[in-house]
Amino acid sequence: MQIRRTFNPINLLIYALLLVMVFFTLTPIVFMVTASMMTKNQILRMPFNWIPESLNWINFKRAIVGLDENYIFLRNIVNSLIVSVTVAITTVLLGSLTGYGLAKFRFRGRNVIFIMIMATMMIPFEAIMIPLYMVVMKLRIQNTYVGLILPFLVSAFGIFQMRQYLSTFPTEFLDAARVDGMSEPGIYWQIVLPNAIPVIATLSILAFRSQWDNLLWPLLVSQKDKMKTIPQYITSFAAERNTDEGAMMAAALIASIPMFVLFMSLTKYFIGGSAVYESRKG
Amino acid sequence: MGTKQYKGIERKQARWGFAFVVPSLVFFSVFNFYPILNAFYTSFYDRRALSKLKPKFVGFGNYVRLFDPARAANPLSFYNSLKATLTFTLGTFIPLLIVSLLLAILISNLKSQKAKRFLQISYYTPAILSSVVAATIWMLIFDPRGLGNQWMNLILNTPGVDHKWKTDPVMLQVSTMLVYFWKYIGYFVILFITGLATIPQTIYEAATIDGANKSQTFWRITLPLLKPTVVLVSIMAMLQCLKTFSTQYMFYTNGSTRAPINVITFNIYITGIQDQYLGRASAMSVVLFVLMLVLTLFQFRTTKSGENIDY
Repeated sequence: MQIRRTFNPINLLIYALLLVMVFFTLTPIVFMVTASMMTKNQILRMPFNWIPESLNWINFKRAIVGLDENYIFLRNIVNSLIVSVTVAITTVLLGSLTGYGLAKFRFRGRNVIFIMIMATMMIPFEAIMIPLYMVVMKLRIQNTYVGLILPFLVSAFGIFQMRQYLSTFPTEFLDAARVDGMSEPGIYWQIVLPNAIPVIATLSILAFRSQWDNLLWPLLVSQKDKMKTIPQYITSFAAERNTDEGAMMAAALIASIPMFVLFMSLTKYFIGGSAVYESRKG
Repeated sequence: MGTKQYKGIERKQARWGFAFVVPSLVFFSVFNFYPILNAFYTSFYDRRALSKLKPKFVGFGNYVRLFDPARAANPLSFYNSLKATLTFTLGTFIPLLIVSLLLAILISNLKSQKAKRFLQISYYTPAILSSVVAATIWMLIFDPRGLGNQWMNLILNTPGVDHKWKTDPVMLQVSTMLVYFWKYIGYFVILFITGLATIPQTIYEAATIDGANKSQTFWRITLPLLKPTVVLVSIMAMLQCLKTFSTQYMFYTNGSTRAPINVITFNIYITGIQDQYLGRASAMSVVLFVLMLVLTLFQFRTTKSGENIDY
């Protein structure tokens, strides 16, 4: 038997408010999905009809075939994948290696190095993109993967997270492995890395997302269509005088699918990743 | 003998530790410290990309130009860029802060774990989309024939009015703020929920025993104890807003006028990359850097003092 709660108008108001916010955050996403299956006239019809009259896949075809009918979107997807996956891997590897070095070894200058690395968090990418662009021009690595990836190999935030996490790792395990004659790189690879999986997951998702989202740096580095990334491709639709809204929404939806899949399968690492800043205080 | 051997092992280990740290150190030197120093250096020169001319030393010339009051009339001047950035930052982070704090408190007080989870995930979902995707969706919503007008007219009961989301200068700013607010609200709600969870339940119990009512508990307990989180979150939100680029870029590419949304980062991009004035763009970069540095240092100071709270 349930205890009947007394009716409380304030509670009702709270629920209403919370649900209005759900409506606000989710409707645009639903709009993207339905609009990707609509014709231009249906997308911009007043009043808007939420259910597509027929499942219209032609938008997806146009999104993939592209404005110039050269299927460049597929190449752009591959580019985004290459860049995002590489950055995720290097962020994890370099971040854990450095974080491990800072957490578990005593050497001269350790604290200075740690402070220097932390200080780079105060340098926003937007403030150094012009000098970085000049470096890229000098090295002649415009329109290359190296140029797209190089400035993002590792993040100070990643190092910080790894250091915090690994400093709680029991040193006795490491010493035991040393007594057993394991090499230092071996210890890192076989003991430290497998024990840092939660941080690895959080960091790789963070790194992958940041590059999957990145528009600014590819705009500077990739001028050739075949070296552009997904955000640039979507921008090209918006730039058309006569925007193909349906295809644009289809491209946006395709671009979002990997993130949706990651989010649904690894929700706690997404949410944990955003809460991770809080642990700084701890 | 024994200690000597021990020393040897220690030294060998120290070398390994250093070796593990060196790759990142080299990386940060080349891709962070050098560029920021270079930005300072270049900001004192009149330097153009793709030009055969040697960069000309102009001292503070670039900075003087940026802050020249005579240029304030030019809608695309840096002065107006600063104004657009500050408008955007304040107009985005204050609503973000208030609404996310409110939602986080409401959610934290819910009994049902399922409802909590559902709400958190629903609010967070926009954050997983890329900024470009977020901007494209809202560009269609803000179309004269789009949902934005339909909803607004429904709420205000003004059938057939076009609210000029993408054409009116003020509405254009509001539109970009709304996109940002939409994308980041869930992220900040979760930050606050995490912050709220660190306040021990026993304090509330003690307050209830002492006869405190709900509003007293909020103003006297929750808010003061949450202060470190509030400061941290607001500075993070401000830093995020100061760097905004994609949304403004997308609206501009889609045909909106540049002046109201010509935020600093966007101006750096146009000046440095499109117009090739690298010196001038570097001076803007330095201003952006200093602006954000001040905020970050403030954040460090306040989070340090926040650590002294004893529950």
